[in-house]
Amino acid sequence: MTGGLGLFLEALAGFANPWTLASVLWATLLGIVVGMMPGLTATLGVALLTTLTFKMPAGDAILVLICMYVGAIYGGSRSAILLNIPGTPANAATTLDGFPLARAGQAGRAMGIATAGSFCGSLIGMLMLVLVAPVLADFALAFGSYEFFWLAMFGIVISGQLTAIDDPLKGWLAGFLGLLVAMVGQEGIHAYQRFSYGITELSGGFGLLPVLVGAFGFAELLQVMKQPAYEVVRNAGGRVLPRLSELLRYWRTIIRSGLIGTLMGLLPGVGEDIGAWGSYAAARRASREREKFGKGSIEGLLAAETGNNAAVPGAIIPVLTLAIPGSAPAAVLLAAMFIHGIRPGPLIMIEFPSFVYEVVAMVLLASIAILVLGLALTRPLLYVLAVPRERLMPVIFVLCTVGAFAIASRLFDVWVMVGFGILGFVLREMKYPMAPLVLGVVLGPILDKNFRRAMVLSDGSLEPFLTRPISAALALLTLVSILAAIPAVRAAVLRLALRIRGGRAPVRGRPEPGS
Amino acid sequence: MPRADMWAGSGFLALGAATAVESWRMPRFEQLDVNPWSVPGLVPGLIGLVLLFLGGLLVLRAVREGALRAEAGMAEELGFDAERRRRTLLALLLTVGYAVGLVGRLPFRTATFLFVLLFIALFRIERGMPVGQIARELVYAALEALLVALAVGFVFERLFYVRLP
Repeated sequence: MTGGLGLFLEALAGFANPWTLASVLWATLLGIVVGMMPGLTATLGVALLTTLTFKMPAGDAILVLICMYVGAIYGGSRSAILLNIPGTPANAATTLDGFPLARAGQAGRAMGIATAGSFCGSLIGMLMLVLVAPVLADFALAFGSYEFFWLAMFGIVISGQLTAIDDPLKGWLAGFLGLLVAMVGQEGIHAYQRFSYGITELSGGFGLLPVLVGAFGFAELLQVMKQPAYEVVRNAGGRVLPRLSELLRYWRTIIRSGLIGTLMGLLPGVGEDIGAWGSYAAARRASREREKFGKGSIEGLLAAETGNNAAVPGAIIPVLTLAIPGSAPAAVLLAAMFIHGIRPGPLIMIEFPSFVYEVVAMVLLASIAILVLGLALTRPLLYVLAVPRERLMPVIFVLCTVGAFAIASRLFDVWVMVGFGILGFVLREMKYPMAPLVLGVVLGPILDKNFRRAMVLSDGSLEPFLTRPISAALALLTLVSILAAIPAVRAAVLRLALRIRGGRAPVRGRPEPGS
Repeated sequence: MPRADMWAGSGFLALGAATAVESWRMPRFEQLDVNPWSVPGLVPGLIGLVLLFLGGLLVLRAVREGALRAEAGMAEELGFDAERRRRTLLALLLTVGYAVGLVGRLPFRTATFLFVLLFIALFRIERGMPVGQIARELVYAALEALLVALAVGFVFERLFYVRLP
C-alpha cells in the first residue's frame, strides 16, 4: 500500500507541469461539451479523440482520453437538467429530479449539486480503483482459459440483462450479435480467415473503432435528426456553488451511490447508466424524503450523478486488471491502450505497476477539472446548448468519417462505420441496447480463443468448466443471472420466499420500472 | 412492438442458421491431424446456434403478443410518422452520399464543404420561407461549411498529424 502511495505521488508529480495541466483542462472541457450535446456520447467522444491522439506519447494520450471520459459523463447532467434530455445515456436518471428543479427556477442549484455529486462519485470510484485493482489483478493471476471463457460469457449475460432491464432477450441478442461480428477475420489459433469471402479488407476483421463510431456516433446522429425540435431552457437561475451543509446532510447517499456506481462500473459492459439508475433506486428506497423523488429531490439528483461518475473509475478497474471493459467508453479506452502498446491484464501489477497509479492520478486530475470547470463556466457552457442540431450534426459526421478513416487510413473503415451506424440505428429504434454489442465485439476473440484452448486442454470434457472453483463460481453467477431474467423463475422464487416467511405471494407481474 | 420484434427475430433466426451452416462448412484440418476441439468453426457455430435459439424465442414471443394480428405496421409501431421518415431519409441520403459517394472521389475539403453546406441548407430552409431569410441561411451555411472544411483539415493534418481521406 505504501509502495502504491509512493507510485501515486510520483505519478502526480510527473503530471505537475503546465503542458499536462493544460491538456487536462482542454480535454475535460471538450468532454463536458461533448457530454452536454444530445447526440454526442462519452463513447463517441473517447473514440474520436483516440483517433486524434494516436500519435501522442502513450501517457499523454491516455490522460486526454480519461479526461474526455470523466468530463463527458459529467457534462451530460447539464442537458439533463436544462433540456430534460440526457446528454449521454448515463444521465437519464438525472433528468428525473434535475429538470423539475430547473423548472422551479433552481437550475443553478441543480447544476451545483450535480457537479458536487460527480466530483464525489469520481473520488469514491478512484479510491476503489486504488484498493480493488491490485487485489483483482493478483486474483486474476489464477485465471486460466476456463475462467476467461466464463468471464466473457458472464459479461455478455450480465451486460445484456442490466442494459435492457425490461427485455433482457434483446440485450442478449445484441451481445451475441457483437460476438458474431468479432468472429469475422483471421482467428488466433490456425490463422484461418472466417467469413471474409475473399474480401482482403475483411481478413483482419472489423476494426473496433469504426464499429464504435458507427454504432454510437452515426446511429445517434440519425436518432437526433429524426426527432422534432426540442426547447432549450436557458435560465440558469440561482446559486451554483453547492452548500457544504447540503452535501454533509446526504453523506450516506453519496457514499452508497459511489459504491453502487463503482460496482456497476466493475461489471463487464454494464457501465455508467446502470450505475446511475442503481444508485437512484437505492437512494429512493433508503430515503426519508421518498415522496420528493421525481419532483426535484436534491438527494435523487445527487445519487444519480454520484453513481454515474463513480462508475467511470469502476469501469476502468476490469480494463486494467482483466483487459475486459466495464462500459462502452471503457472498451474504447482499452482499445486505445492496446494501440499505445500498453498491455492491460492480470500481469499489469507485475509488468507496469506504475501505470495503474498513473491512471488513478489521471482520474483525480479529471475530477478536479470537472469541479473547477463545472462551477466556473456555468453560464458560458449554456451557449453550447444553443447550437442548432442542423449546424452541429454535419460537423459531427465529418469527424466520424475522419475518425473511422484515421487509424488505418482505409476508406473501407468509413464504409464499416456507415454500415454499423445504420445497423445501430435500426437496433436502437427497436430498443436493443448498444453496450452488449460493443462488449461482444471486444470479448469475441477472448471467448473464442479461451473456449477452444480449454476444450483442447480438457480433451473435449466440459467437467473442468464446472469443477474448477473460480470457473464454477462464474458459471453459477451466469446461470443465476439468466434465471433471474426469466419472469416465471422470478415469480416462483418470490412465491417460495413468501411461503417460507408465511406470507402470501402476489399473483403475477413485473416489478415497477425503475424500482 | 410485436410486429417489429417478429421481423427482427426472423432476421436473427436466419442469421443464426446461416452462421451455423457456414461454420459447419469451415475446414477442420483433419489432414494436418489438428485437435478437433480447436477447429475455427466451433465457436462461431455455437454463437450461430445461440442466435438461432434467441431469435426463435423472440419470434415466438412476438407471435404470442399478437404480431400476426397486429393492425399497426412496423413503421407505426416504431413511431415513424411521415415527418420523421422524411427527416431520417434525408439525413441518411446526405450522410451516406458524403461518406460513400464523395469522400475518396473528391478532395476532402471540397467534399466536406459540399456536404456541410447541403446538410444545413436542406434541414434549415423550409417551404414558404421568405427569400431574404433563405439567402441568409445559405450564406451562414456556406460560411460554416468553409470553416469546417478548413478547420478539420488543419486540426487533423497539422496539429495531430492524422491523414485525411
